[in-house]
Amino acid sequence: MGQHDRYDAIVAGAGHNGLTTACYLAKAGLRVLVVEKNDWIGGAAVSRSLHEGWTYSNCSYVCSLLRREIVRDLELPKYGLQVIPYEGGASFSSDGGYFAYMSDHDALRREISRHSAHDADAYDRFSQTVIRQCRFIRPFLLRNAPDPTSLKPRDIGELLFLIKQAHGLGKKELGETLRFWSMSIGDFLDEHFENDLIKAHIAGAGIIGTGLGVYSPGTAYVLLHHYMGDVDGAIGAWGFARGGMGAISNALGACFEEAGGTIVTGSGVDRFLVSNGRVTGVALENGDEYRTPLVASNMDVKRTFLEHTEQQHLPTDFLKAVKRFKIRGSSGKLNIALDALPEFPAAPKRAPFLRGDLHCAESLNELERAYDDWKEGRWSQNPYFDMLIPSQIDPTMAPPGKHMMTVFVQYAPYDLEVGGVRAGTNWNGQTRGAFADCVFDKLEQACPDIRSKTLHAEIRTPWDIEQEVGLTEGNIFQGELTFDQLLFNRPVPGYAQYDTPIDGMYIVGSSAHPGGGVMAAPGANAAKEILRNIGKSNAMTGYAA
Amino acid sequence: MTKHVPIGLVETPFQPRLEALSTAKSWTNWAGYVSPATLDTVEFEYFAIRNQTTLFDISPMHKYRISGPDALEVVNRLVTRDVAKLRDGRVGYVLWCDEEGMVIDDGTMFRYSETDFRLCCQEPMYTWLLDTAWGFDAEIADESQDIAALSLQGPTSFSLLQDAGLGDVAEMKPFDWREIEPDLWVSRTGFTGDLGYELWVPNGNALDLWDRLWASGSHWGLKAIGFEALNICRIEAGFVAAGFDFQPVHTAMRLRRGRSPLELGFAKMVDFTKGHFNGRRALLKQRQTGLRYHLRKIDIGGFKPADGALIYYKKKNEVGHVTSGVWSPTTKRNIALAEFKAPFGEGITDDLWAEVYVNEEGQWDKRLVPVTIEDKPFFINSRARATPPRPF
Amino acid sequence: MTTPTYDAIVIGAGHNGLAAATTLARKGKSVCVIEKNETAGGMARNTTLAGGIQVPEIAHLLYNLHPKVTKELGLGSARAPLELRKLASVSLSEDGNHAIIRDGKAEMVDGRPHPEAAPFAELMRRLTLFAGLLGQLSTKSPPSFEGGLTSLNALTELGGLAKLGLDLKRIGKKDMREFLRVLLSNAYDLILDDLEDSPLAGALAADAVRGAYAGPRSPGTVFTLMYRMGQGGGAQLPMGGMGAVSAAFETAARAAGAEILTGYGVARVLVENDHAAGVVLEDGTRISARAVLSNTGPMPAMMLAGAKHYDVEAVRRMRNQRCKGSAAKVNLVLNGTPEFTGHNTDLAASRLLIAPSATYVERAFNPAKYGEMPENPVIEAIIPSLTDPTLVKDGRHVISAVVTSVPYGLEGGWNDAARERLAAITIATLEKYAPGIGALVIEKQVLSPACIEARTGAPGGHWHHAEMGIDQILTVRPANGMAHYRFGPEGYYLCGAGAHPGGDVTGLAGRNSAMQLLKDGVL
Repeated sequence: MGQHDRYDAIVAGAGHNGLTTACYLAKAGLRVLVVEKNDWIGGAAVSRSLHEGWTYSNCSYVCSLLRREIVRDLELPKYGLQVIPYEGGASFSSDGGYFAYMSDHDALRREISRHSAHDADAYDRFSQTVIRQCRFIRPFLLRNAPDPTSLKPRDIGELLFLIKQAHGLGKKELGETLRFWSMSIGDFLDEHFENDLIKAHIAGAGIIGTGLGVYSPGTAYVLLHHYMGDVDGAIGAWGFARGGMGAISNALGACFEEAGGTIVTGSGVDRFLVSNGRVTGVALENGDEYRTPLVASNMDVKRTFLEHTEQQHLPTDFLKAVKRFKIRGSSGKLNIALDALPEFPAAPKRAPFLRGDLHCAESLNELERAYDDWKEGRWSQNPYFDMLIPSQIDPTMAPPGKHMMTVFVQYAPYDLEVGGVRAGTNWNGQTRGAFADCVFDKLEQACPDIRSKTLHAEIRTPWDIEQEVGLTEGNIFQGELTFDQLLFNRPVPGYAQYDTPIDGMYIVGSSAHPGGGVMAAPGANAAKEILRNIGKSNAMTGYAA
Repeated sequence: MTKHVPIGLVETPFQPRLEALSTAKSWTNWAGYVSPATLDTVEFEYFAIRNQTTLFDISPMHKYRISGPDALEVVNRLVTRDVAKLRDGRVGYVLWCDEEGMVIDDGTMFRYSETDFRLCCQEPMYTWLLDTAWGFDAEIADESQDIAALSLQGPTSFSLLQDAGLGDVAEMKPFDWREIEPDLWVSRTGFTGDLGYELWVPNGNALDLWDRLWASGSHWGLKAIGFEALNICRIEAGFVAAGFDFQPVHTAMRLRRGRSPLELGFAKMVDFTKGHFNGRRALLKQRQTGLRYHLRKIDIGGFKPADGALIYYKKKNEVGHVTSGVWSPTTKRNIALAEFKAPFGEGITDDLWAEVYVNEEGQWDKRLVPVTIEDKPFFINSRARATPPRPF
Repeated sequence: MTTPTYDAIVIGAGHNGLAAATTLARKGKSVCVIEKNETAGGMARNTTLAGGIQVPEIAHLLYNLHPKVTKELGLGSARAPLELRKLASVSLSEDGNHAIIRDGKAEMVDGRPHPEAAPFAELMRRLTLFAGLLGQLSTKSPPSFEGGLTSLNALTELGGLAKLGLDLKRIGKKDMREFLRVLLSNAYDLILDDLEDSPLAGALAADAVRGAYAGPRSPGTVFTLMYRMGQGGGAQLPMGGMGAVSAAFETAARAAGAEILTGYGVARVLVENDHAAGVVLEDGTRISARAVLSNTGPMPAMMLAGAKHYDVEAVRRMRNQRCKGSAAKVNLVLNGTPEFTGHNTDLAASRLLIAPSATYVERAFNPAKYGEMPENPVIEAIIPSLTDPTLVKDGRHVISAVVTSVPYGLEGGWNDAARERLAAITIATLEKYAPGIGALVIEKQVLSPACIEARTGAPGGHWHHAEMGIDQILTVRPANGMAHYRFGPEGYYLCGAGAHPGGDVTGLAGRNSAMQLLKDGVL
């Protein structure tokens, strides 16, 4: 029998959302414990040293969505967080050309005109639409999703807020908004652009992390999950967290500990203790048990309820809804230690856009075919990747003169098909090697010397991400971002306000509204909800409140 | 396809001359080009416009050619006025709208013939023109990179052109335009409300043109100028500027930033009888249901330029703001363009006050000064219209 | 000014055009329908193949004919007779273990209950319930909120929406939540959440995407499935072929006093003073009218009036409209009765589906995305002559097959060789379920989406004139700002499937547009 202790609240999982919830609860005066199965904190926002001298952001790798209200509330810069914006990006074509995204608007116009005069103006129209949609959606990120079936004044209030915002758009913009939300990124881009390379460059943001293709309706909305963030107020800008994405988790962790919180690493939750429909505590894998009236689970909804909660405590309908919650993994990753900066023969020497996100996709059809492979349980034979070399800007990521490259790969299945059988366990040394080879082959389109400069590569499949981080099926958003799983449907209709059928138990990770990305909004919103439910609604006076 | 594009500002063909003349070293970004804010001092440049003659490089303007059998139909579908009434060899000020009747941009339409036009404007418009011409037999060509242009403005501009061997412009009336020499087109147009011309040449001839004008310039007090001096003159002339007095609707990220030509005071530039044009149905509806704003010329009490000032009714209710405001050295008045929420500015024109903040060496002071609505341009001079023009 | 010849002209005598004409004529308006083909009916016509055998040329079954339309137009009455037979659906399995769907219930081919009969019935219950709710929106113009929330118009619309909201509440919290969850979802997940992937699941998946440019994994396909189930989803075979349906519509129109002029194409719509004033025929004849309704696709309707009468944005929206047809029609004349594995002749008279799994349906659509021919297409086939003896001729039968996931923009274009290949693929696919059927074929008619466009004018050969994606329905059908049948110049209306509520032989777009026209006080 392990140690017993009692806390006001226990947070299961030290991902960025769990830590955010923990910070807000601790700052409100609660005695809070965070338990984490790994020996380190951060979940999928981590900096790992897996090759001596190098730091890998080996899951999430860039930062934009982290809500600025939360950063201010929790004073994260005080705990070491610095987000450095990066410049531009590029897509390399197989014929030795490239399209570069440049942060300077006039240079970007010239660059687009180089490919298509038509598309240069079209880009402005495209950004106008996207920015308007971002402006529309941003106020909802730090609010609860209303329950449309409820007559509670708060739900009606939230619903009215939604209606008011929508009505405020006016008739025409409302129509455009409805269309945008239900369109595919492919159709949306086809409406604006004629050049394949430009379309492919932008389209990636509509499919990253999803189980959808560029022509699947709903992917235009997913694009917003990559554009609605900001760096210092510049909407849509992305940056690196100095020291890797772990800097975010570490800052949250430090903030939490300074507020009096306790973090226990190295042993995950075995099961949540429930009695008479109320949560009473947490039993860890190492046998330790802690008592608490409040549990915030940072694990995804499937993991929380299908693996760590005794099912007799859950209503059948709820259980069924959790089981059908779609959380298919679709992304892999390579983290590479480089002996030197690779050459990009197509680009000018030291072009600033090489410090941004680099891709090799050439057309929407190519991306759609990559999706067709995934549907059949294969990794994309011609994969899409989002590749960056953060060490160009952040000197902490690699030894002097050396570099670190992060390659996010879409699509890779969780349940890999081998010989007619689809299973996560089909990911073994051989298949992982073949997968990495396939990615390297494609990387050579941009930098032919990549293999010779590689010192070490970490290969991450959805299976690995599930095993290590705990994200079910390796889904980076803790649940797909389709309409049946957004707003009041996320994660389960009727339980979309961080609550669960078990009293005192909350879902605070990205399985909850507003969903995935290193946003910390679910964690902050959940904390607000918890504090309100225990009568401490005024304890928060910060920006996110 | 060129291999790489330059990053940062690029130069117009006139940059070598401007660079050499710049003592102020004060440059701005105009549509991605290096453009002088001032070359010498604003005061000297301003008085050169009103007293002598000045050269301003307008090459960064976007220039588009609309040609083909349906060209007239396309431009008439584009703009609010009736271009069929514009004769060959004439230039017209035009505005064009989106489907909601909000102004996309304004500019000048140069008519070569019924089948050939050039549109000159601030905002990039190529794709919009392509979309406008869809389904019509007309070609759209972007000439922005090919044509350089100089604006020669001031009372002695005609005399200078005469000395430069371009005396044929004598017979040109305001808004005339013709090919004075092969590959040298001249329009009697400008942004100062005074006598002046704009000269258009292929990029390759740009420096020759500059040198030719410069060679005849000293006698007539020719001075190269930057944007700031010109801006004072355009406000004196009562001209609106995109991005200042209205937001080109395609560039506005926020909703409802657009303004209709009726709201900008251009009702006379909207011809509802010519058939359908973009935004016509919306503008008809707006004419019926009422305008939301009025852009007006105003005179502001006191001597402090009121750019950006809020305007109050009865010193209490906020009813508008100054969109462009300067001290006018010629008329010795504190002038501005201002946007009012209807009915202020048109129905209600009395008891309006501007809130001006004054910083006198670190001491801040808030003043409420009276606002008077003006109908006419602040600067009017008969020499601007005389044909043939007088020597100065 | 001379008095116009007609109150209204309807361009195109498809069923929606005829429904619009009838609705107007019944209100005492003088109406002339002008049809470029020699016969009325559009996609719902019969054609005669060699030997004089009658075949439903394009559409072959009714699902969705709206009872309001039936009643108002008097279809099926003595005035406009129309006889329909319910058909069961048989989702074929290569091993002969076919799944039968009869009256919304699942059985096995040998009469045993289907092992998934219960979850299937529950799924159908939900879908039918939801389809009924959505159906409320189909008989009116979609809500617009024109003039803000305070105008009378908006209040009426809000009233309608409030009723929908109320009905939504009335179905109970659980169903309401399910409705809001699945509304924008994809058919594949919805089906496979409750059913094994088998011919039963395949049948639903195929129904969700027939005529659509989408695979069942595309979000929005639950909506298309529900749309199809607006009247319960049961297939009905018109006796005498689809031509009989058109004939009934035509008879109703004439009975109401509308004139129908066939064999005359309309060259353009006359617009005077931003007002529709009539049409000019291809032979140059001008016919004046106070209003014009077009049953063509949205883009052709725009071009008939001329792009110059539309704002640039409106033209752009039309150009961007998604209307890539994906359904072809293959009609095969058979020299005998085909035999299906594990199947008696009775069942051969059913609606036959080749959609052995939802995964099969998704895979079938993959090649279409890249302009390639599907090797294993989804097929909906009927042999109408087994139900309707009037269609048998000299012992010959016709198999009428809707072959889906066939791209409009086929790589290399639609030529004789491509059509021949499609026929071969269709026959080879049928062979797997009815060995020997190929040997019976004595004549083939292949209508690719391109052929369908050429014959009917439907843009892209799309069955619904425009894709029924969520981004192209309700207030954004056919396009944002044009959802109320009013189509540019005053007095010009869109009355075809490109308008709300959309495609299928419902008659609603035609009827609703006529009602909107009357409400607008144009006449």
